Amino acid sequence: MKKYDLLTPEGTRDLIFDECAALRSISGKLRGIFAGHGYTEVITPGLEFFDVFNNKSRHYPQEVLYKLTDGKGRLMVMRPDSTMPIARLVGTRLRTAPLPLKLFYDQTIYRANPKESGRDDEFHQSGVEIIGGEVMRADMEALSVAAEVMQSFDVDDYRFEIGDSGFFTLLSSKLTLKEQELDDLREYVMSKNYPALDEMLAKFGDDKYARALGGLTRLFGGGEVFDSAEKILPDDALPILKQLKKVYETLCTLGMGGKVTVDLGFAGKSSNYYTGIVFNGYIAEYGMPVLSGGRYDKLIADFGVDVPATGFAVNENAVAEALLKRSGGMLLPAPDVMVYADDHSIAAAIVHCRKLIAEGMTAEYADLADINEARKLAASRGCRRFDTVTVSGTKTESIG
Amino acid sequence: MTDNKAIRIALTKGRLEKDTVGLFEKMGFDVTELREKGRRLILSIPGQNIEVVLAKAADVITYVELGACDLGVVGKDTILEHGGKYFEIADLGFGRCRFALAGKKGTDFYGGVGVKTVATKYPNVTRHFFESKRMDVDIVKIEGSVELAPLLKIADGIVDIVETGTTLKENGLEVIEDVVPISARLIVNTVSMKLKKERIEELSAAMQKAL
Repeated sequence: MKKYDLLTPEGTRDLIFDECAALRSISGKLRGIFAGHGYTEVITPGLEFFDVFNNKSRHYPQEVLYKLTDGKGRLMVMRPDSTMPIARLVGTRLRTAPLPLKLFYDQTIYRANPKESGRDDEFHQSGVEIIGGEVMRADMEALSVAAEVMQSFDVDDYRFEIGDSGFFTLLSSKLTLKEQELDDLREYVMSKNYPALDEMLAKFGDDKYARALGGLTRLFGGGEVFDSAEKILPDDALPILKQLKKVYETLCTLGMGGKVTVDLGFAGKSSNYYTGIVFNGYIAEYGMPVLSGGRYDKLIADFGVDVPATGFAVNENAVAEALLKRSGGMLLPAPDVMVYADDHSIAAAIVHCRKLIAEGMTAEYADLADINEARKLAASRGCRRFDTVTVSGTKTESIG
Repeated sequence: MTDNKAIRIALTKGRLEKDTVGLFEKMGFDVTELREKGRRLILSIPGQNIEVVLAKAADVITYVELGACDLGVVGKDTILEHGGKYFEIADLGFGRCRFALAGKKGTDFYGGVGVKTVATKYPNVTRHFFESKRMDVDIVKIEGSVELAPLLKIADGIVDIVETGTTLKENGLEVIEDVVPISARLIVNTVSMKLKKERIEELSAAMQKAL
């Protein structure tokens, strides 16, 4: 017997009515922002070769990928990310395109989350990539567009957080660590696991880099973070701090004051992926960042073209969910008019619908033979007007 | 601002809950409601704007990870078994014990060339432990008293939480190797940590000071 014919797989869902409308409205909003700033859309395949997502500067662990094989037995994956396919595109068909190249995307992403974790395995993600360009300007643009995205959600308690992967890269390189220890250290910094971090750094005694790393992980918050950081950072890390502070101040002048926060304890998920400024956007209703991005200067070199890049991605499902939760659901607009036809006026009613639509109204054709049922349908839809098209002509009545 | 909203902390029902409530009392909180809770699962601490949720250990992690609770008190054992993405900001020191590999007294677990069978309530911890040793083992998940498995000869060893070792001893088992120490941890949702920084850091510092 069939067992799964009435179910959707774990981590996926049907989006209906206001869920769908909310997602499309977010998507439209982002599209407007990105296109307005001159970004061009690309669509990459939903299926890619496994190799695309498994290279030096970033690789996806096998267990988070949905995998299948093609007719030739080659390993394929459902796209877990859009940045790596775009890096592939830049390394191939866009190899000779003039830089900077500004691209945006709006497509679904697939990730195999641990079982029953309550997270989406399939979600809509929209974002931008700036390939090439001068670092400071490109960073500032990516940040300001991301900030604009956060502002566009019209919620007043969002936060936009910035950091720099350079601190961890620099400080950890000064400590003698085995590969496993470096991975552990990264994990402790990212999970703000203060007890484990302190225990690990204790063996370096009074080493200034170790001390700075311990202190930095606890340094997040508003602009005051910069003053505290200046006191604990070794001199060679100060240029990174200065640069980040400049970015912070610029964002504050862009109407983001009070919303921008800083987290200096950023280590990245794996070695080598992020190479500079990183940022996250949060909305109170959602337990994870809804936007995240940063500079990744080494990735595209893995695809044969050594060019710096930055970008960010927005989890549209997360934003839609958070905003729906906040508004208590969204009312879908009812059609303006419900149109009924008797047996001899089916074509005439369709023509009538078209006429109403051309006049700027929304008109729904009632696919029912019984006029009373059609009237009931109009009421249940919330229509204010009910038009009947019969052999004796068209009549309008108002309802509700 | 978000900082004025109540913060919600999930406590692992049972001993960790008692220890945490004791800690709250030491901090000067009014814990009457937490002590006389009846069957209620969501409680409040008067005058503190803190909501307390009582949950099973693994659920504490789920609630914190999904942001339903800002903070949680949960054992390192559950953290290791369950994984997840959240901040682990303090070791609360109580609930101290350890994961250990144990086997029948006098047997050589690592001897021989056969693949060993290990019984446990914590398959992920067990898998990680043997993966780090690059050693293939068969893992059998047991829900109740794991000590039974070697006695009934379905496993060569067990990985379990060991406090004093009395249960092992009484059943003719002994610790072969310690896996990892365990104690109660304070975990925080990654977004709450940023949006409610002052209140969370304040509470965390007060809790650690009262230890």
